Amino acid sequence: MPMHSITNACAHLQNATRARLGLTSLPNTKYVLRLALAMHRAGLISSVTRGGPTPPPPEALLTTETEPVTTANVANRRLWIGLKYWNNQPVMSKLQPVSKPSRRVTATIPELAKVARGFRAGHLLGLNVGELMFISTDKGVLEIREALEKKSGGLVLCRVS
Amino acid sequence: MSVARPAARRLFVSGCAAAAAAASPSPICRQIPIRPAFAAATKTSFHTSSSLEARKRSRFSSVHARDLGLINDQGEFNEQELQKFTEQKMGPVKFSPEEMEELSKIYTPEQIAAIEAGDAAINPRDLTIQGRLRDDPYVLPYLDDFAEHQPIIDKRPQRNPPPDPHAKFMDLDEFTEDLIKWADKFRVGEVTGTMKRLVDFVPEEYQSVAEGQWPGEVRDEAHKQFKAYLQQTVERQAKDKLDGQEGAGITDADVLQYILERSIMTDDGLKSNSSLAPALPRKVPGVAGLYARSVDPADEGLDPLGIYQDVKKRTGLTVQQMLDLRTKRLVHRFVSNQTRLGKIQSSSVIYVAGNGNGMLGIGMAKSTEPVIATNKARLMAIRNLQPIRRYENRTIYGNVKGKVSGTVVELSARPPGFGLRVQHRIFEICRAGGIHDLSARVPRSRNPMNTVKATWEALCNQKDPEEIAVGRGKKLVDVRKVYYGGSVY
Repeated sequence: MPMHSITNACAHLQNATRARLGLTSLPNTKYVLRLALAMHRAGLISSVTRGGPTPPPPEALLTTETEPVTTANVANRRLWIGLKYWNNQPVMSKLQPVSKPSRRVTATIPELAKVARGFRAGHLLGLNVGELMFISTDKGVLEIREALEKKSGGLVLCRVS
Repeated sequence: MSVARPAARRLFVSGCAAAAAAASPSPICRQIPIRPAFAAATKTSFHTSSSLEARKRSRFSSVHARDLGLINDQGEFNEQELQKFTEQKMGPVKFSPEEMEELSKIYTPEQIAAIEAGDAAINPRDLTIQGRLRDDPYVLPYLDDFAEHQPIIDKRPQRNPPPDPHAKFMDLDEFTEDLIKWADKFRVGEVTGTMKRLVDFVPEEYQSVAEGQWPGEVRDEAHKQFKAYLQQTVERQAKDKLDGQEGAGITDADVLQYILERSIMTDDGLKSNSSLAPALPRKVPGVAGLYARSVDPADEGLDPLGIYQDVKKRTGLTVQQMLDLRTKRLVHRFVSNQTRLGKIQSSSVIYVAGNGNGMLGIGMAKSTEPVIATNKARLMAIRNLQPIRRYENRTIYGNVKGKVSGTVVELSARPPGFGLRVQHRIFEICRAGGIHDLSARVPRSRNPMNTVKATWEALCNQKDPEEIAVGRGKKLVDVRKVYYGGSVY
């Protein structure tokens, strides 16, 4: 699976939140889409909408797609991500890729359990207060607590706080 | 100037006469410096060789009592010679009438009587036998009769009485009165109303009635006399002016003297011992009490110096609460400001204050005086008190990091009973703030000042889990408070 799109997405989202943007876009790939949906489930972002090269109108953000994907427009589709802020602070301020193309990091269920409780497991540092970790499992991209619920380990994508 | 001085003078003058015949007794006071050899005899030498002064021979050969015939070869007193010598040299000084008159100008009759009694109390024979020049270590370096004021040695005599403590600046009426009083000294007459009036020339029974009711002959007589008086006055003034005598009027010098020397206080022109104006009294009327430090009864006398009053106003804490705070000096540095006049050293102090239950403050202050810097820093710390976030009132929320310059402080929450496994400055901060379980790492620079600042920053930058949950739209439950009925300690 292409890791670089994930690391690039992390870097871009972090830059966007630091620039206090309300809306930003990511490449329209399946991997990035799954990560974005996992983040949406975790409440880190407000909306995920597949749109064109220009930002979709605000009312379109409530939908998943501005227009159906066709072979004609699939090449210029992008994922438009609505960013969240609370108390003048970004909800998601730090995104740190764990795996990178040159070095994939995987974690088993016991390791994830330790990390989720804040303890170190191997090279994986424990989670801090309010920190999230996204895992790519065979049940899709999940947040660490979802992965533990579903008892599945996998590739550690990134940690977000 | 003491009364006893003439007696002392006589004693010294007589003693001198015995020692050196050249010095004739005189009523005018004198001082005779002691020769260096005389003083050197009492000094302790720190050299093996005798000092130059000691090797010098006296310019006068000693006059022995035997040579004077006062004692014989067996060392017994030669009473006859002794008596003669005593009468000649040591008898009481006889003041001439002129001298007595001079003395009576200085001394009251009682004082002169005391002087004479003092003279009479000294037996001249004792002076002959026992009187000698002092050579003890405490001898004055000169012979002094204390009758004359010597500016370098003696204190300045206070000739005038002390200033009137009740004197105040003259108001308009007092000033006018004073001006008239001054002008009255000059016999001009017209200005100040010292001239006689027409009323002064009538018999006493008519002086209180108006001029119209006087009988004709009385009125004529009075007018005649008054005219003559006026004529006489005018003539006298003209004559005075011609002669240039006193009373010819106020001269410029008088006016200048009035401006420069007349007192503007109601002290009746009292002369001061000092050329400086008298200091203001301790309690200036009209000002006394206005600047008194108001003591708040709510303080219960705990702050007599008023050092907490400013902080009390700013923080709303009572003095008792401020005294109950835990304060601790964390850092004391000596800093210096390089100016063109040189380095100016100051003390820089960082203090921590806390109530041991979640309120914490850090204060920093500088002063050239370490004590002042310490007090200021302490008060600043109390001023800066603010609540810090604590998890279960014992530790912090998660791991936090603070960074100031090259100093990074990493604080980590720890389970109950872990204790404070931190360095001493962070320990004091935690103790003041009421954090009981904590571990800390200072992986990089351990600069004391920056460590304290970074710790403060880390403690203040703890994220609130509730806020994070609200931001993400999640519900947050602390399971430690759910399991075991919440009794997790």
